[in-house]
Amino acid sequence: MADTPIQERAPSERSISFPQADGSSVPYAVFSSQAVYDREQERLYRGPYWSFVALAAELPNVHDFKSTFVGDTPVVVTRTASGFACWVNRCAHRGAMVCREKHGNAASHTCVYHQWAYNCEGDLQGLPFRRGIRTDNGTLAGMTKAFKPEDHGLQKLRAVNYKGLIFATFSDEAPPIEDYLGPEMKPWVDRIFHKPTVYLGCTRQYSKSNWKLYFENVKDPYHASLLHLFHTTFNIFRVGMQARSLPDAQHGLHSLITVTKPPVEADTAAAYKQQDIRSMQEGFSLEDGYLLGQIKEFDEDCTNHIQPIFPQLVIQQIHNTLVARQLLPKGPSNFELVFHFFGYEDDTPELREMRLLQANLVGPAGYISMEDTEATELVQRGTVRDGDKVSFMGMGLDAPDETRTNITESLIRRFWAGYQKAMGY
Amino acid sequence: MSQWQDVGDTAAFQEDEPRAVTVAGEPVAVVRQGDEFFAVHDICTHEVARLSEGFVEDGCIECPLHQGLFDLRTGQARKAPCVTPVRVYKTRVQGGRLEVQAP
Repeated sequence: MADTPIQERAPSERSISFPQADGSSVPYAVFSSQAVYDREQERLYRGPYWSFVALAAELPNVHDFKSTFVGDTPVVVTRTASGFACWVNRCAHRGAMVCREKHGNAASHTCVYHQWAYNCEGDLQGLPFRRGIRTDNGTLAGMTKAFKPEDHGLQKLRAVNYKGLIFATFSDEAPPIEDYLGPEMKPWVDRIFHKPTVYLGCTRQYSKSNWKLYFENVKDPYHASLLHLFHTTFNIFRVGMQARSLPDAQHGLHSLITVTKPPVEADTAAAYKQQDIRSMQEGFSLEDGYLLGQIKEFDEDCTNHIQPIFPQLVIQQIHNTLVARQLLPKGPSNFELVFHFFGYEDDTPELREMRLLQANLVGPAGYISMEDTEATELVQRGTVRDGDKVSFMGMGLDAPDETRTNITESLIRRFWAGYQKAMGY
Repeated sequence: MSQWQDVGDTAAFQEDEPRAVTVAGEPVAVVRQGDEFFAVHDICTHEVARLSEGFVEDGCIECPLHQGLFDLRTGQARKAPCVTPVRVYKTRVQGGRLEVQAP
């Protein structure tokens, strides 16, 4: 039989269809489709959004630089004489990555391939043999005479410093950063970035799962008391704590979760048992409870403040740890997660020690975060073959305006509703 | 104790055509402008390149690698990416021979 074979469309080529406009149901194809991923790179990471690229405190001196990404495009962020610059890490000559180091200090950046050199703003400074080669028999031709160095700089992004957070965008349409953060999110960003910060270091990890699964995770307070046994075992994240789940009102892509301890006299352990979700581990205790202390430093001392700012940032305060998490997509089924730990310039030695000690709570092996990227990998593996199947997120669906709860999937739904619009699905 | 070192017949140095010489084991670029002779260390202070392979213009020597400029008289960097001055050496003519003062 020489019949034309039936052209099966690859899963990635199927059109994406969200069964509900409210974001309560998500087709699994969005987690593994190359076509979806490519569309995200174009519409989101090259679209009118601001991507977090660095803390200003990571680049304290003029000419400090850092290699990072906007989406999966390699970029370099530099501190210049007048502020910050961000450029695509791709030589204007033949496309090689110019900067090959994670971070450092350099007034100029030279491509190793043909030694084209750029300044920290990304402008071309010079290139070998531009004027040709002097020989005993005269000068041999160099670069074409029509060449104008100013036309061959590195591709520049817009870069802004908002209170120590450096954001970059490819888009001329991205609104001013204050408007981008919006009136719901800005006061909470300001809560953390209200005074000069000091960079303490970072952890890096990869997860073999789609970047949006991590976005779901940080918009999902529902899982915190269920997945993270350290939380429940040591009674630190409890049902019935004072909670907030606030979406951004413009597009729902940013959000905030906070948890604040109730007055000490309330018996939250008893309250938790009454919920009967997962029984407390009786008798477990930490040898040194200092790890779970909290030195008062804010008007409202939330134990948890988790604030994703779409698409590359999650601001985190857990007890006395302060982190800017950076989420970087690496193809449909991989992402990198960088935890940038920081403190304030005026930290007391005691507070700084506490921040470092409590760094153990989060990051790749964090007591209360190591399960997150494991959970996202479980979803990736469970969904990869069935792009047409969908998830179901109905927790709190009947009370869409309730924000004083952590038992809700409202923030995830708002995210997916915003995502559908942004992607044109 | 600085030594004057003979680097050749002055006639061997052509106007605005840098020549590489060696002075006390160090590479030096010599440039002639009319009756004046300038000598600067031959290696660019930005990246490794020989200034003697570059071009002379407006009292400066231009590095062939990235077109940074150094003032021939003072060694000051005049154009990025060069920012660090290059070392300059004194010169004199003795009986038709050019001499460069070793450091």
